[in-house]
Amino acid sequence: MSNAILSLKDVSYSYPDGTSALNDCSLTIRRGMRTAVMGANGAGKTTMFLHLNGILRSSAGDIQWEGTSLDYSRDGMRELRSRVGLVFQNPDSQLFSASVREDVSFGPMNLGLPKNVVRKRVEEALLSVGMAESADKPVHNLSYGQKKRVCIAGVLAMEPEVLVLDEPMAGLDAAMQEELTVVLERLHAAGMTIIIATHDLDFAYGWADEAIVLQRGRLLAQGNAADVLLRPEVQTELGSSPLVAEITRSLALTGMAVRVNGYLPRSRSELLKAISEFHRQENEQ
Amino acid sequence: MLTEQSAYTNRWRQISPVAKGLVSLFGMVAAFAAGSPRAALLVAIILSLATVLGAGIPPARYLRVATPALFFLLASCLSLLVSLEFNHISTFGVSLHLSESELPRITQVCCRSLACLTALLFLALTTPLTDIISLMRRCKLPETLLDLMTLSYRTLFVLSEAVHETATAQSARLGYATFKLSMRSLGGLVANLAVQVWQRSQALHLSASARGNDGALRFLEPDYPGSHRAILSAVICGILLVVTAVYIP
Repeated sequence: MSNAILSLKDVSYSYPDGTSALNDCSLTIRRGMRTAVMGANGAGKTTMFLHLNGILRSSAGDIQWEGTSLDYSRDGMRELRSRVGLVFQNPDSQLFSASVREDVSFGPMNLGLPKNVVRKRVEEALLSVGMAESADKPVHNLSYGQKKRVCIAGVLAMEPEVLVLDEPMAGLDAAMQEELTVVLERLHAAGMTIIIATHDLDFAYGWADEAIVLQRGRLLAQGNAADVLLRPEVQTELGSSPLVAEITRSLALTGMAVRVNGYLPRSRSELLKAISEFHRQENEQ
Repeated sequence: MLTEQSAYTNRWRQISPVAKGLVSLFGMVAAFAAGSPRAALLVAIILSLATVLGAGIPPARYLRVATPALFFLLASCLSLLVSLEFNHISTFGVSLHLSESELPRITQVCCRSLACLTALLFLALTTPLTDIISLMRRCKLPETLLDLMTLSYRTLFVLSEAVHETATAQSARLGYATFKLSMRSLGGLVANLAVQVWQRSQALHLSASARGNDGALRFLEPDYPGSHRAILSAVICGILLVVTAVYIP
């Protein structure tokens, strides 16, 4: 694909205990896209993410950044990790310091940036996740959702080109999920490539441009999210299909072909808009 | 936890930790420079009043935080009063002996310790540990020690949460219903924690590498506005304290 930023070619990886996590897995992440990575538990999502950041090194196959194989030297890793930011699932296992501001400064300090640059980046990162007012609070007094946002700020402060998030919505209430979506939308608008592992089919269908579906360490499907998530083999693997798509399909069977701006609705709000649009047109005729 | 709470909520939270550290340091110097028990006591009173009235720590909380330390102070002073005497004439060889002649010296030591205690409490109750650690980093203390402090401090809360969660889950299934069950559950809790500690250290290592770390933990030092003025006033107050301690008869 033309604008590939990261690609895996026939990558295999087994954990030291013998569990095979990736099996000849090939896939491509495109620059500037919102990519959703889906798959059952144990399908290899987290392992794949650890490869993107160079933490795990594949036993076979090749991983490329813009067409060049990854450089696993010390300098190469420093460069890769400043470009690919990885946010893990559990915030408590990635916050080092009890001070919010200090923790966010950890990544940029590791990059060896001058202090005034680090200070500026820390404030910007905290601002962009909406945690600027809580910067002086101790980490252990923050809520789960706030800790999660501090983790994201810690990675954003390194100003990566690719942001990889492992199940960012897990454990967040609806309001916090909505806030996080707004943060991600802003980053996407600023040109960042975002990759998210999720089990939330409806979120993936509404949010992602691209979808990657993994099945026992292999690529099952990849492509436009709206197409991929409706494929029969993907629905079998994931156990269901997006609710909005199902409702749209049922409505079509009853003769209501709902559309937003000529497209099939992909989120709840788009669906509601499409239905009211349909009724408006009916009444006009 | 009380210390923790005060450190984050007191009136002097936003004052430069350097200034607060200096006051504490001068307080300790004054405690050792004090020529008489009366002078040392005066230093202790000034420092505790500064903590309670200045930083706005509620007196009841101040006493609660100080109590364990005061208890140890009392115990050690009492043990200083009594000394063992090795007596070659007596059949038992050893006898207890109340040293009255040592009384002035012991009073002096006790009052000095009390003054040192109030100086330390002043710092502990007004400054969060993260600030104290970054202050120590400025003083060029060994990196390894500071990294250990940072990690243990953070891990303390993560672990206490894990303990709480596991213990709650255990008691929800009657794990602490009888003494025998309690012992069993406690064993399970410890075993479970050991595994969790190991897994968490792995996870921390992973996320440190993901954020480009390759050795020492580096953090940005916090920036406090107007710290020069605060440091200057701290030095002046500190010197006055030492002078008072030296010249009070």
